[in-house]
Amino acid sequence: MTQDVSIRTASSHSRYAEITQEVVGIPLNYPRWRNWWIAFGIALALLLLFFISAGVLFWRGVGIWGLNIPVNWGIAISNYVWWLGIGHAGTLISAMLLLLNQPWRNALNRFAEAMTLFAVTCAGLYPILHLGRPWRFYWMAPYPSTMNIWPQFRSPLTWDFFAVLTYLTVSVLFWYIGTVPDLAASRDRAKTRFWQVFYGLLALGWRGSAIHWARWRQVYRLTAAIAVPLVVSVHSEISLLFAAGPLPGWNSTVFPPYFVLGAAFSGFAVVSMIAIVLRHAFHLQNLVTVQHLDLLAKLLLATGLMTAYGYVIEIYATYYGGERYELETLWDRFTGAYAFSYWGAIVCNFLPLQLLWLRGARTSPLLLFLISLSVAVGMWFERYMLIVTGLYKDYLPSSWGLYDVSVWEWTLYAGTMGVFFVPFLLLVRFLPMISAFEIKETFYESQTKDRPSVVRPDAERTSGHA
Amino acid sequence: MRSGSPHADDADWVRRRLGGRSGRAFWRGLEELSEAPEFKRLLAAEFPSLAQSPADFARRDILKCLGASLALAGLAGCSEDLSHSVPYVEAPETIIPGRPKYYATAALMGGYAQPVLGETHVGRPTKLEGNPDHPACLGATDAFTQAALLGLYDPDRSRSPRYMGRPTAWSGLDAMLVSQATRLDATAGQGFCLLTGATSSPTMGRQLNLLMRRWPQARWYIHEPVSEESRIEAARLVFGRRLEQRLHLDRAEVVVCLDDDVMGPGPKQTYHARGWTKRRQSAQRGEGSCAIWMAEPTPSLTGVMAGRRIIARPDRISTLAAALAARLGMSSEPAPPLGEEERRWIESAAAALDAHRGQCLVAVGSQHAPAVQALGLFINAKLGNIGATLVLAEPSLLQPPDEAATFQDLVQRMKAGEVSSLTILDCNPAYTAPADLDFTGAAERVEMRFHSGLYFDETAALCQWHAPLQHDLETWSDARAVNGLATILQPLIGFSFGGRSRHVMLQNCLGDVFAEARAVVVETWREFWNDAFDEHWNSALVAGFVPDSAPAEIAVQPIVDTAPAVARAARGEGLTVVVKPDPTIWDGRFANLAWLQELPKPLTKVTWDNVILVSPALAEELHIETGNEVRLEVPGRSVAGPAWVMPGQEPRTVTVFLGYGRGPIGRVMEGAGYDAYRIRTVADPWQSGGAGLTRTSKVWQLASTQLHFALEGRDMVRFVPAGDARVDGRHSKKRKVGETRKETIYPVQHYESPSWGLSIDTDLCIGCNACVVACVAENNIPMVGKEQVAMGREMFWLRVDRYYQGPPENPKTVFQPVPCMHCEKAPCEMGCPVNATTHSPDGLNQQVYNRCIGTRTCSSYCPYKVRRFNWFDLTGSDPPEIQALRNPDVTVRDRGVMEKCTYCVQRIRSAEIQAKIDGRPIRDGEIQTACQQACPTSAIVFGDVMDPETVVSRRKTSSRDYSLLEEVNTWPRTTYLARIEDEPPDGGSEKG
Repeated sequence: MTQDVSIRTASSHSRYAEITQEVVGIPLNYPRWRNWWIAFGIALALLLLFFISAGVLFWRGVGIWGLNIPVNWGIAISNYVWWLGIGHAGTLISAMLLLLNQPWRNALNRFAEAMTLFAVTCAGLYPILHLGRPWRFYWMAPYPSTMNIWPQFRSPLTWDFFAVLTYLTVSVLFWYIGTVPDLAASRDRAKTRFWQVFYGLLALGWRGSAIHWARWRQVYRLTAAIAVPLVVSVHSEISLLFAAGPLPGWNSTVFPPYFVLGAAFSGFAVVSMIAIVLRHAFHLQNLVTVQHLDLLAKLLLATGLMTAYGYVIEIYATYYGGERYELETLWDRFTGAYAFSYWGAIVCNFLPLQLLWLRGARTSPLLLFLISLSVAVGMWFERYMLIVTGLYKDYLPSSWGLYDVSVWEWTLYAGTMGVFFVPFLLLVRFLPMISAFEIKETFYESQTKDRPSVVRPDAERTSGHA
Repeated sequence: MRSGSPHADDADWVRRRLGGRSGRAFWRGLEELSEAPEFKRLLAAEFPSLAQSPADFARRDILKCLGASLALAGLAGCSEDLSHSVPYVEAPETIIPGRPKYYATAALMGGYAQPVLGETHVGRPTKLEGNPDHPACLGATDAFTQAALLGLYDPDRSRSPRYMGRPTAWSGLDAMLVSQATRLDATAGQGFCLLTGATSSPTMGRQLNLLMRRWPQARWYIHEPVSEESRIEAARLVFGRRLEQRLHLDRAEVVVCLDDDVMGPGPKQTYHARGWTKRRQSAQRGEGSCAIWMAEPTPSLTGVMAGRRIIARPDRISTLAAALAARLGMSSEPAPPLGEEERRWIESAAAALDAHRGQCLVAVGSQHAPAVQALGLFINAKLGNIGATLVLAEPSLLQPPDEAATFQDLVQRMKAGEVSSLTILDCNPAYTAPADLDFTGAAERVEMRFHSGLYFDETAALCQWHAPLQHDLETWSDARAVNGLATILQPLIGFSFGGRSRHVMLQNCLGDVFAEARAVVVETWREFWNDAFDEHWNSALVAGFVPDSAPAEIAVQPIVDTAPAVARAARGEGLTVVVKPDPTIWDGRFANLAWLQELPKPLTKVTWDNVILVSPALAEELHIETGNEVRLEVPGRSVAGPAWVMPGQEPRTVTVFLGYGRGPIGRVMEGAGYDAYRIRTVADPWQSGGAGLTRTSKVWQLASTQLHFALEGRDMVRFVPAGDARVDGRHSKKRKVGETRKETIYPVQHYESPSWGLSIDTDLCIGCNACVVACVAENNIPMVGKEQVAMGREMFWLRVDRYYQGPPENPKTVFQPVPCMHCEKAPCEMGCPVNATTHSPDGLNQQVYNRCIGTRTCSSYCPYKVRRFNWFDLTGSDPPEIQALRNPDVTVRDRGVMEKCTYCVQRIRSAEIQAKIDGRPIRDGEIQTACQQACPTSAIVFGDVMDPETVVSRRKTSSRDYSLLEEVNTWPRTTYLARIEDEPPDGGSEKG
């Protein structure tokens, strides 16, 4: 097999039209009604569960969860970190690979960005839902209130609030800007007046002129350049939520990079899963090729190994530091009441991952899906472990106490799946889920250069668009 | 057009003014209205008496009336409309809303008065403090006394008389009592029996004398589940007369306790703890010693404070007493055989006693046979302790004239049909009687049964007639404190929850249905003071006690020359059962008080249940784990309850606690625990042998507030050898405040005086929980119920941590009260995103409830986990009685906000205001936190840490001073004094 990841069919200009039709045509002539409705039905049911869980929560208070003193943060916070981590991979795939001129991303970026969007939405809901008085959440925002009180700027939560809000804004922008040319294509192909207006408005009058493309490229790259460091800053910031606290197991300088890598790791896993499912459901095997899967798997393996390094360093730093409370917390993670989450994280994250050293595993959609699923679960375990083991046994043995996840926390978690999948499915249904014009671009370039685009140096690529 | 009556016209005007208003607006309406001249005219026309000057009323009565109407209006204001209430026309000069008034009175416990000052806000008592002038408590209280206030407001109290279980009018009851009195007059009281709880009330004594004189054939009996009777009996054995023992622990350098929990819960706890503290503090300064030897089968608070504790089976106590007497050369009998450990313990105890003649004490538990206690008294007499550390006096508690009139005798007579009318006053024998007496069955044979008590309880359900009693705090009465001083009880509350005082009930029984409680009490004291009544009465009410009213100390010599022989028959096979009153709800009388139900038991930290204590060895043998239900079988009866594996428990002894397993008498007590009275017999009320223990398949969910008890090798509680502490006592080594602080990345704030701090002496803390309940009462802390406690959501701002060190068979136990540390470098303040927890210029870590949005970051970051979160709306649905109980100076917290110890900031601010008005600085000791004020051992001291002369500052310079979790570098304002390890009396050769 070659390293070629471009789309290879009969070389003719009609192929461009085919690609557009293949991608843009999905929302216009939806192919898999029955399956979509089944999936959408399930997602809607989950969304309903979300509204019920959140409704009961607002009505009665966070006491319906299993929280207590000392464990007063539970899976609400671990899910928050988990969802945000998933979101980060979308940005990384889309923006970072754009900046790094990795055109193979073009088959993946659109739904990866959508994934970011909805994952960040889910993540952003959690900190509000978990508040004692959620109707006061806006007090975290620095607005000129009559009380003349500002947020407390030393608090990592204040910065969390800014970080997530910024990240959400930039993600929306990045995704939207990237979709505009395809929205225009949808507009041009729409058959009914409604959809023509609908896509027309969203396309912002895109006509595909050279100036449009030049401007678009500037904006798109600029937004990407903003988005990529945000991934690092947002997740570093999230990690400070823990690292800033004086608790053993939390108070560690390794947390920011550790969290960012973990986020990318879990995010790539979820991107792989979604890619495999979409590819299978919509027969996009020639757009999202085995080569894409192979590259995703390599990224997954790489970030996974970096995360594993974080684990090792954490253990090493704890022993090197020799602080007794830190040592005890570490030992407690290995052997304590929540050891299942530690070993669950280790096993799910790193054991199946080793299969990805084999090319056969990387290119097998089913295997890659299962490994990715394992990583998603493993990273959930990791977040759970970090929060609960930090809190349930801290300094004074008198205040140690266990935490059991309550039914309402599980239903809310399942409900956020609905929050994620309902808009995602709508997006799949109504908007182009793969970037048609970028794929065409890749195709064009592979046609003209007849070389595998992944190995092309940056300079050439950039000049091609100047 | 004007109508005929000018009044009607005005009334119309009033209605117009008030029309359409309700709730808060309505209140404002009334205030505005009362100022209006039209209203004043209307008032004058309608109620001429009110418009006149109230000069011809007694001042107190007016205040009472005004307080009552306002308080009732406030109560009703929570739910009902106020169309019938009358506001102040002119505010009385002496009542300033927001400024509490204090009345001296007492709460009753086991017949004894616990002297208190009641803080009242416009007629509503909100807090009880110990009476600082009363020598028995010096301002301290125990947990029961703190919670007595909740008993007053308990919404489940009986509110009306009942006949055959159905509410009826007082008139029906009065008619019955009058006709009974007439009938009894004819027969000289034949067949009439009165059963009361223990009482020390002089008025009660006077009334009972009257009753016995009028109806000579009537009988009076006393039934108190946890009584002093055996102690008095022991004194009779040694000294030939019934005498009360008063321990002066302040004079006792050596105390040898033979299973006597002198500092444990009970009516005398405060008194004993006060005395011990005085002694201990002297010992800390190097003046004499303060050492406790304890031999006991089950851990107790005294055992925790004992330097030398051995575990002894209950039936070994008599042997140990005999051995002690023999060792001290007071017994002609040969020393009984002892185990190695016992022998060493006896030898060291005897040596210490011998070295401190006249300054030592031997105390034998009242649950042991009078003969064993008598031996203890004999040893004391021989050591010259009588009159020094052990004072004997006429008993404060009243005693029926007929010595044979025991409770058993009453039940026998009931069974024999000799009792035709039984009146039960403030006593619940249907629940508390020994199981083998079958009081319930006997009661069936009594024709006429009448019960009067606070609750419609088990006994009330047995009786045809029931009448509600007034609570101690809402009535006139009198009683004696544990040191014998009489206190006149006056009502704290401006209104009544609808009962009658026990004195009125007694008068009613005598056929006097128009009796008034105050008049009955006044009559007693008028007899006592004669002409000087007026001056004494008022000063006694103000002081809270009658000076020099204690039964005089009696100097007596033993009537026996040699040590009384004690039966030393060792029990046979099987386990020994020890029965104890519950440390928080006592004999069951406090079962409906949530403050005490949720209060963690000092040694197990269990709430809402009683447990069966099992030693680790026995648990291992029978494969029992904490929470497993076990069935405890004693010959002929059995009871099932949850097991608790108790370190320090005697291997073959099982301990059960009274007071639980009651029916739906009140909402709070329902479904809590098991009923240990069911295995209690007349012969062996406190301990019995030959018991068996089996595990059942059931598991109880126990709600404990502390799940881990081991110190885990950490240094939360520190120990210093006695020698080092002494050095400190001579001020040779002083510490600078904050010398252990490490660098911080945050700017260092400089504080000016006053700046507040707290010091807690773990060497003095006996773990009695008084501080915890005081904190609950002062700060409106909600109770959350068993389920929530089990989830780890109790709301206590102050907790008493308890740790074990050493082997589980006999560990060293320590208590550590943990309030907020008020860290200068508080992690919580850094974590809060909305500035809801901040630092005040005077060094307080503040929590701003209305700014809090409930992120709980503060609690996550708190290394001490002292913050508490309102997981639900815990206060909104409280009944109006409980709302009336709340301290108006403290915010009632809403759902979703964090709360924690404030150092009683409301007290700080009110003292500051007062000092500012007076134009002076705040004096040291002027501000006492609620926990400090209640603490019977002065373990907690609060004050200005920037002023080097304050008590708290001096404590903080002690070499024993340390910060909890120094390594986290939070610079806490709450610091601890390390516990002093008692040095072995013989120079350490006892080790190993």
